[in-house]
Amino acid sequence: MSGFLTSSESRWLIPFSSRTQARGAMQSKINPVNVAWLCVIAAVLLNLLGIMAIDTVPRPDSPDFAMKHFQFMIIGMLAAGLIALPHYRFLQRLTYIFMILVLGMLVFVLMKWVPDSIVHPRNGARRWITLPFTDFQPSELAKIAYVLALASYLRFRKNYRTMFGLLLPLFLTFIPMGLIVVEPDLGTAMVFLPTFFAVLIAAGAKYRHLLIVALIGLSLAPMLYPVLQPHQQARIKAMIAQMSGEDRYNQTIGFQADRAKTLVGAGGFFGAGKQKAAALVHYNHLPEEHNDMVFAVICCRWGVLGALATWGLYLILIVGGLLTSAKCREPFGRLVGVGLVTVLFSQMIINTGMTIGLLPITGMTLPFISYGGSSLVVAWMMVGLLLNIALRRPGFTLRHSFEFDEQVDDEVSFRVGVWRMPGA
Amino acid sequence: MDKTRIIPSMFHRRLLLLLVCMCLMMMLLGAQLFRLSVIEKDKWLRDAESRLSQHAYLPTHRGRILDRNGNILALDKPSYDIAVEYEVITGRWPIRKAERQARREVGREDWKMLSKQGRQEEINARIPEWEASCERLWYLVMTLGEIDENELLTRCDAIRRKVKSSAEAYRERTRREEGINDNRPLPAKEEKIAHVILTQISDQVAFEFRKLETELPGMFEIKSTLRRVYPWMRNTVYLSRNSLPSPIRSDDVQEIHLMGVADHLIGAVRDTVWAEDLARRPFLTEDRTIDLGGYRHTDVVGSRGLERAYEDVLRGEVGVVEENLETAEKIVSVSKPGRDLTTTIDILLQSRVQAILSPEYGLTRVQQWQLGWESYGRPRPGKLPLGSPLNAAAVVLEVSSGEILAMVTMPTRAMGERMSKLQRKIVSPAVNRAYEALYPPGSIIKPMLLSAAVTEGVLTLSESIECTGHFFEHSKQFARCWIYRDIYNFATHGSLEAEEALGRSCNIFFYTLADRLGMERLIVWYGRYGIGQPLNIGLDLESEFQAKYRNWLGRLPDVEKISQFRLRGEIESATVFMGIGQGPITWTPLHAANAYATLARGGTIRDATIVMAGSSEARVITRKDLNLKRSVVDAALEGLRQSIMASHGTGHHILLPGRLREPIINAEGVTVWAKTGTAQAPPLKHDDNGDGEISESEVIEHMDHAWFVGLVGPRNGIPLYAISVIVEYGGSGGRTAGPIANQIIRALQAEGYLPGHHLAFPEESG
Repeated sequence: MSGFLTSSESRWLIPFSSRTQARGAMQSKINPVNVAWLCVIAAVLLNLLGIMAIDTVPRPDSPDFAMKHFQFMIIGMLAAGLIALPHYRFLQRLTYIFMILVLGMLVFVLMKWVPDSIVHPRNGARRWITLPFTDFQPSELAKIAYVLALASYLRFRKNYRTMFGLLLPLFLTFIPMGLIVVEPDLGTAMVFLPTFFAVLIAAGAKYRHLLIVALIGLSLAPMLYPVLQPHQQARIKAMIAQMSGEDRYNQTIGFQADRAKTLVGAGGFFGAGKQKAAALVHYNHLPEEHNDMVFAVICCRWGVLGALATWGLYLILIVGGLLTSAKCREPFGRLVGVGLVTVLFSQMIINTGMTIGLLPITGMTLPFISYGGSSLVVAWMMVGLLLNIALRRPGFTLRHSFEFDEQVDDEVSFRVGVWRMPGA
Repeated sequence: MDKTRIIPSMFHRRLLLLLVCMCLMMMLLGAQLFRLSVIEKDKWLRDAESRLSQHAYLPTHRGRILDRNGNILALDKPSYDIAVEYEVITGRWPIRKAERQARREVGREDWKMLSKQGRQEEINARIPEWEASCERLWYLVMTLGEIDENELLTRCDAIRRKVKSSAEAYRERTRREEGINDNRPLPAKEEKIAHVILTQISDQVAFEFRKLETELPGMFEIKSTLRRVYPWMRNTVYLSRNSLPSPIRSDDVQEIHLMGVADHLIGAVRDTVWAEDLARRPFLTEDRTIDLGGYRHTDVVGSRGLERAYEDVLRGEVGVVEENLETAEKIVSVSKPGRDLTTTIDILLQSRVQAILSPEYGLTRVQQWQLGWESYGRPRPGKLPLGSPLNAAAVVLEVSSGEILAMVTMPTRAMGERMSKLQRKIVSPAVNRAYEALYPPGSIIKPMLLSAAVTEGVLTLSESIECTGHFFEHSKQFARCWIYRDIYNFATHGSLEAEEALGRSCNIFFYTLADRLGMERLIVWYGRYGIGQPLNIGLDLESEFQAKYRNWLGRLPDVEKISQFRLRGEIESATVFMGIGQGPITWTPLHAANAYATLARGGTIRDATIVMAGSSEARVITRKDLNLKRSVVDAALEGLRQSIMASHGTGHHILLPGRLREPIINAEGVTVWAKTGTAQAPPLKHDDNGDGEISESEVIEHMDHAWFVGLVGPRNGIPLYAISVIVEYGGSGGRTAGPIANQIIRALQAEGYLPGHHLAFPEESG
């Protein structure tokens, strides 16, 4: 993203606003006090919690991950600031270019002829592009690109309120998702589905249609099982076995899940404290303890209280994001807000769910908390986008977008007699 | 916009819906977290904390098994094994060592710069020196271990094959379970450890290897192990032949080498732990605590005999060193060795009895005197060729305590290992014939029936019963007395009182008693004497019989069977046949000895036992009383005495050519109360021509098992020991099993249980 902002940011702002003013379509004003700051505050706190969690286990022979995480936090916040500056409507114009770029990178990592020095497969997965300072995962950017593209596509349309009209948005979902599944990175791919549904619900698609799509998807899901990678199948099998209390996978494929659950449980309500948690995590040989499994460390160190704090901060972030959408009147901003919130929420649910044994293990970071450069910077970029949306105050009253005929039969109705406003 | 709603905007309503959905999902996660961290906290914390400490286990050793005189029958003996690293065995080791050395010597950075070929050259240059080490090790293994090159290669091949197959199986399994589909070689545990090449080396050799450890590091391990040793399992007994029946008598002392002495009793251990052991007593129990007496994969487990039956007594508990990884604190609890088990067996007597039953001694072979001679002097032909070995079993137990002094089965397992497969199948050497094999009692049941009849009041001791040769008026072929046959010119016993009837073993007398008692009372009384009752002597059943007859050693007709007899109108004949120990009843030689001991105790029932009373492992011995009148016991004993001591007794003499009589029991200074029995046996399969198959002509029907069961005590004293002998397909009880019992009595004398000693020639007895 930063590539677009080579010169001063205001340079973009002024011509943009003057152009809109000239058209008389919209007046741009900055709204400095807005709900998106909730997201920023929550993100900062989550990030600090992450630094503390990463710092739990001393690692004498590896780099100071907590320090590096802090550095990435600064970089991430800078990226968020940069992305908040240009008006999002300008970003909207670049959406499709951006999407094509990202898709290009997703295809690029899959190409077998790309030398190992550029795309280095790890455990057979081709997800990373090697950059001089860090490794970069195009699938992280794909999440943002996808949300922008979907919002951009839906913003002035109505045809998604028909069954047929849902096909194109679905198609738009399956392209990046499919490429990511092939990497393979099932976890990241799974984030796209809830995002699709959330954005379409917000846009006013009919529940009936979404339900049909979901049911078709669910009924097709078992047929996809054989297509899964053997290790993915094994993980699902192991998770089901472990949920029913069987321990035969605990030393092999279910090792990570078992140890994560053990440490979560060992934390109890108040947590084991730093020193004890460090010993428990270390001698229980929890894999990825600073990364995908960092939530287990939080639960071990601070107990249920730590988990509640984490979820509480996410809730604040989500509420902040949804309020941003609610306050925004412009259709693109509305949908982008919902989409980004859902992406962050889905990642959080998948990560914490797999840590406490409700979902199969898959490579998925916990936004802001897990150690990892591209994941953290992308999460901050999402917050930057939310801030961007909330900062803009529409200069005139737009037609309210996504308001449809209330006679529609499938609306889950709040129209309860008693609740009806007096005099309405 | 719909102003009629609380939230007018549809978009806002839908945002709220999304928020609610998200909150619900988080609550679901919260519930799971609550379950883990609050409800199940203790379990997970214990799991997690268990990994903070490291356990090292200290070995224990199995308890010894002793005989009644303190002779050690089984013990753990320390010994050393030499195990060689698997890579040394496969020859990969020099290459790997050379590669490592090359990397180190070239240096990490320079190594990176080298081409593939350059690296290989560096490695190859260093291989010979490591190969020389291997050569040296193999040379030492061969010279110190005293094996030749072929033997060494065979052992290495065996290890390679074993490791290869188990490693393949492991890979297959992990691939399937974890869904790894690439062909990366998953290293199996077996490929990374040392494997035993030399076992049980002497301390001296172990010391030599110890010195080599610095010279050839990392190539082999000296493992000190405990090995289960059975010192008496093979031993040699010297038996004089001067008291044997005259056809095989001589003045020699025969040296008899025994294999598998008391093997069926002591049992054995295996060093593989089975799933059933782990299920029965896992080292790590279900609630994740450690049972120091539980099984780990490297344990030794009793696999049969006393080793298995008293596994929990013998095995002991390992010690443990618990080190807290956080604080480096160590807590040591020492191992508890297994407890010793004292058996009632006298291993010297056991060995003697086994020697007596050995075919090379001659008594358990088909001999002409067993078959007899025609009146005009021609030897009577037998169904088996002369000299054929016969399977046999014998039990000696102490009357007063029920302690088993000797219990021998022939052939032993060790002898069975030398048999052909078919022979093994026919003979079943794994079966402990004295304890597990079922036979019809035949005439040896008669004293039990006599005591039952008198106690039940169907016979008075002064009453005579006329032997007419056949029991049923209408049939002379059926239910006859044993002498009512053409070879005896259809003789009858005439009028007999109880004692003489027992001495002469008159069938008609006992048919009559059984008929008077009736089936139901007969079953009750036979049951009291142990028929159809499990005999819990402290041993599990070992053989293939286990599945079939568990807790059901011996057989009595049940209600269903009786009603069948009734329906078919066979109840009367079934009853009278049971009177002479035929028909639907079976028991084991141990049952027989125990029943006779019960009689000798005046009706007090005790379970026979193989574990010494007074040792903490002894079982509770059940005591019941049959409330026999003294006169009844005396009458039965008198009958039994006459059977051996009176010239008309069935156990009195052997007939030799020229109507020469030779007493069966020629031991001096003792009184013997005993009964012979000749019990109908199932068809005998016999591989005559040795073609490895049983053809129809090789099944011999209408043969009899030979019983000789009785009591022995000092002359004019009380019965001290009960002896039970069976020879399968031996024919006449008196002529075949009798001389064996005679030798067992002499063995008791030789071991000091009875007064008297071997004499060159026995004197004539009444």
